[in-house]
Amino acid sequence: MVFMQLFVNSLIIGSIYALVAAGFSLIYTTNKFLHIAHGVSIALGGYLLFLFFNLLGLPFAGACIIAIVLTSLIGLAMYQFVYLPLQKKKASTIILLIASLAILILVQNLIQLFFGANVKSIDYLKVREGISVFGAIITPLQIIIVLIALTLFVLLYLFMKKTTLGKNMRAVSDNKELASIIGIDYKKVAGASFLLGSMLAAVAGILIGMEQNIEPVMGTQLIIKGFTASIIGGIGSVAGVIPGAYILGFAENFGIWYLPSGYKDAIAFGLLFLFLLFRPQGLFGLKKGVKQ
Amino acid sequence: MIEIKNITKKFGGITALDNISFKIEKEKITAIIGPNGSGKSTLFHVISHLIEADRGEILLDGHEIQYLPDYWIASLGISRTFQEVRLFKNLTIAEHIEIAISKNDQSLFKSLFKKEISNNQYDNNNNNQNNNGSNNSKKIKEIIAFVGLEKPLNTIVTELSYGQRKLLDLAVAIAKPHQLLMLDEPVAGVNPALREKIKQVIRELQKKGETIIIIEHDMNFVMDLADYIFVMDYGELIAEGLPKEIQNNKKVLDAYLGN
Amino acid sequence: MIENYFIHLLIMIGIYIILTLSLNLALGYTGLINLAHIALFGIGAYTSTLLTNANVPFLLAFIIAGLFTSLFGYFLVFTTNKLKGDYLAMATLGFSFVVFSLMLNLTEITRGPLGIPGIKKPEFFGFIIESNYAYLIFVAIICILSILIITKIIKSPFGRLLQATRDDELGLRILGKNTFSLKCKALMISAFFAGIAGSLFAHYITFIDPTSFALNELILVLTLVIVGGIASIKGSIIAPFIIIFLTESLRFLPLPSSFVGPLREIIYALALLLILYFKPRGIFGKVDIA
Repeated sequence: MVFMQLFVNSLIIGSIYALVAAGFSLIYTTNKFLHIAHGVSIALGGYLLFLFFNLLGLPFAGACIIAIVLTSLIGLAMYQFVYLPLQKKKASTIILLIASLAILILVQNLIQLFFGANVKSIDYLKVREGISVFGAIITPLQIIIVLIALTLFVLLYLFMKKTTLGKNMRAVSDNKELASIIGIDYKKVAGASFLLGSMLAAVAGILIGMEQNIEPVMGTQLIIKGFTASIIGGIGSVAGVIPGAYILGFAENFGIWYLPSGYKDAIAFGLLFLFLLFRPQGLFGLKKGVKQ
Repeated sequence: MIEIKNITKKFGGITALDNISFKIEKEKITAIIGPNGSGKSTLFHVISHLIEADRGEILLDGHEIQYLPDYWIASLGISRTFQEVRLFKNLTIAEHIEIAISKNDQSLFKSLFKKEISNNQYDNNNNNQNNNGSNNSKKIKEIIAFVGLEKPLNTIVTELSYGQRKLLDLAVAIAKPHQLLMLDEPVAGVNPALREKIKQVIRELQKKGETIIIIEHDMNFVMDLADYIFVMDYGELIAEGLPKEIQNNKKVLDAYLGN
Repeated sequence: MIENYFIHLLIMIGIYIILTLSLNLALGYTGLINLAHIALFGIGAYTSTLLTNANVPFLLAFIIAGLFTSLFGYFLVFTTNKLKGDYLAMATLGFSFVVFSLMLNLTEITRGPLGIPGIKKPEFFGFIIESNYAYLIFVAIICILSILIITKIIKSPFGRLLQATRDDELGLRILGKNTFSLKCKALMISAFFAGIAGSLFAHYITFIDPTSFALNELILVLTLVIVGGIASIKGSIIAPFIIIFLTESLRFLPLPSSFVGPLREIIYALALLLILYFKPRGIFGKVDIA
């Protein structure tokens, strides 16, 4: 049944978008600037897995772990070696955003330099038969995608609510000056947000790499989707962006019920515009920081 | 000439303005005083339509203006300053006044075919003999001299001290054609000499018959300047009258001492 | 041979000067973080191409390309008016992606990823601009005219208002100026020049496809604006010469051709990062980005 299939597809891609958006939003709420280079973390997740698994022949699980760890560290490095130095020079958020764009292009082209511009496949778990659920076909990999995403969201929630670091992150995102007055080390918290956020992005990159394929521009495309999901959900709220991401997934898939499939992206960006126009705080977010 | 009617504004749980009504008379200096947080600046923002009131009307010469866009209200003749100095940090003193007094600069067409004023004219070393736009440059010099800003007209804002910026801020508001001048804490953070200077400027404006509303939380500054005083506390109008009456008003003293 | 290569470089520099200066008008002078400039460039290119392919006379197509693109300038300000700088940037980025996506998918019109080959050379008053040398003269004329017009706008009282909008929009509104209208006009003018630059590009290369207008190209123009100098006319004219000559010299290194493209982008990105760290106002700029 078409409806069920679209529903299932929405859940799958929504999970990917949610992973991207959650990390992006976590970084935004902690650091208060738009880390577009988050797309880098997505692409690196996929490509590092490809490097270690497909090219170097390491066992799959090991390759995944290395890819995720390395990507998280590179995410931290972006903070440490680009953003923090700029912030020390009192750079405005616009400058940080442009720097972020530069990093995105830089790494995207480095990837193209080393791996070539062609689309590549990871070929693991991909070609298995799907099972039929209520008239829709879903493959084991796709089920895993949704499950991993949901698990990570639960873990993220627990982290933010129960751990000291998570609480510190929320304190910093609420009021940076106050947080530092009560002794929270802002740089540590910021670094942690980049580690954690990039980790989520790496997982997204690995999953989408396995489900579809990897190409140098994958980061750029997905980060715009991630940003759209954040706007729909409400960028100030890490929890809020997750439903926003699923809504985006649904809008895209059901949208192409009526429109030719090539317009998927146009639907996403159209939604972005609509929300920025009429409800910039998103469905669940607070009115901070968007309007002048 | 300007009338506030039943203006109420709430922010979440806080009532910033509580059913405020009063009239401002022409050609007088009216002061609005009250402790910090009493809603004075919020009132100014509502009049300028930078904030939208929940209820109530603002009438300028009998016409309702509360729904008009902020820039429209300004162009109707309301000039104002803010608690914080608002200047264009990369522009020169002369450019600020030019913007304030220019009527046609928004039109691209008129702008392109009118002669430009170059900044070279305002160099102190260059006696201005150039008559292109001379009306403007004379006026600019007058206004800057009027507020007592002693700096070459081609100085950029970033090179000015806080006190000099305060003077420029004032000059811009005065330069802009207006029938009402609203000053929000015109001497906040200013040294005593400059305070006196600004007081003088306001006195001069009064002599010229200007209508001025001043917000201040320092009672002393307004006492010998104002013709009439309104006192606010917690968003309400708690007293009004001549300066002598206000000075001895128990409610007012209580409000300031925080009873 | 060498001469032809230089002529090619100069033509591209001319086109980039128009792009850089017009982006600086929006970004440096008016404070609008418009990351959709390359999309506008592309809209101009496709519009001019489609019109001339439909036998519309070149000069008319050229002007219409500019005018049509400027409508999108209005659209961008209109939709993003209430957004703060960062969000404006992301919204314009999103817009670029929509445009890119439409270029790829409106295949009946744009032929999608295949692109449109065989674009006609400019023809007016009986002349056809065939040789590269003639095209260089054409581009040079348009470039100089553009510089003169944009400079005049910037130095006029109107231009002064644009800078005031950048420095304190609220402060300017309090002086009775309609900043929404000012921003619309600024971005429409900026978009117009991006559009005609697009037309110049299309009719020179005689082939366009969506990849010419992807995010990569934005980095080059952004780098040119920022390196040259925020709100500096001089900077926007000089930067294209410096950067394009520098990166073109890459061609002479013994590298496989598939390397040159990405390497160039990497250099632009690095240059951008370096200038943002060491001299964020740019070489000739005297103003911070918004």
